[in-house]
Amino acid sequence: MSFQLLETILLMTIVTYGSRVLPFLLFKGENIKGFARDFIELVPIALLAALVVPELVTPSGTIVIMNNPFLWAGILTFLFSRFVPNLFLGILFGMAVFWGLDKLLL
Amino acid sequence: MSNKENEFNHSIDKGFLYGLSQSLTIAIGYAPVAITFGILATQFGLTFWEAGLMSFFVYAGASQFIAIEMIHQGATPLMIGVTTLIVNIRHFLMSLSVVPFFPERSLLWSLGLAQGLTDESFVLNTKVLKDVEGEENRRRVMLGINSGAFVTWVSLTILGGLIGKWLPVQFSGFQFALLALFIILTTMSLSRKNYMTYLIAAVLAVVLKLLIPGKIYLIISVILAAGIGAWWRVRKGSHRVGLNSQKSS
Repeated sequence: MSFQLLETILLMTIVTYGSRVLPFLLFKGENIKGFARDFIELVPIALLAALVVPELVTPSGTIVIMNNPFLWAGILTFLFSRFVPNLFLGILFGMAVFWGLDKLLL
Repeated sequence: MSNKENEFNHSIDKGFLYGLSQSLTIAIGYAPVAITFGILATQFGLTFWEAGLMSFFVYAGASQFIAIEMIHQGATPLMIGVTTLIVNIRHFLMSLSVVPFFPERSLLWSLGLAQGLTDESFVLNTKVLKDVEGEENRRRVMLGINSGAFVTWVSLTILGGLIGKWLPVQFSGFQFALLALFIILTTMSLSRKNYMTYLIAAVLAVVLKLLIPGKIYLIISVILAAGIGAWWRVRKGSHRVGLNSQKSS
């Protein structure tokens, strides 16, 4: 195992376990409210956008619309999973469509 | 509140094994995700035991998928660590709301019960623990639930990793698998309450990615978008203060 991966797993463990254990160690059971709570609740959806959209729109460093299997496979996967909300089927669909478009467009 | 607990302890049957049996519902949900993680991790260059090690120590599905995507994109460990922090800080909220079930907990129980807190185990524990009387029993039930879920996650990650090792590496569809997963998660969690944050983050991320080298655009756009979204919610909420300041949802 590379040192980089070890470092990655270690850091991930510290921050994840830290988030889980701190309330057990520090609190009797209060509740976070207001800005902090909204912020924490909104992080996952913001991260999904930041992870996915740039990869779809700029797969090779510049914005590509037409000849871009990532973008079209992404849009089709989005539509598919709206009608079939199943993780596994959605991934299979996305991979198959991407593979097909990748062959077709290049 | 108190005399019910002391009167008659008829909840001996609700202990570790009861929790373990309750965890079956989580195990069924985890199975395909854990196997998928194992397969993708090996497709993205990890060995099956490295994938298993990550599941064992990190034990947080979404952030593990994000990590292998970021490793693939060439992000540094520190970047992945910070991203994991902002993804998993939500466990802090869950932990906070579970803690009142265990006012007399020891340090060892604190360390142990916190380990198994995930989105799914949190939901199940909150539902189940309400009907378990006595803190001792509640601890054992939660330990049972957490153990079942944890063992499923780790063992099926390894199984997926072994499957992934034997799959043909040539299939180009695999480079889209993680993006597909995130897109599906998006459709499952987008709502009228958060879509503006999603759009802001998307635009910011694309613009910043083109402007700034490296992966730092991820963190900047997420913090800005979630910050704007939260600020907007608080601002909207403050108009209603006074009308309904007592009740919280």
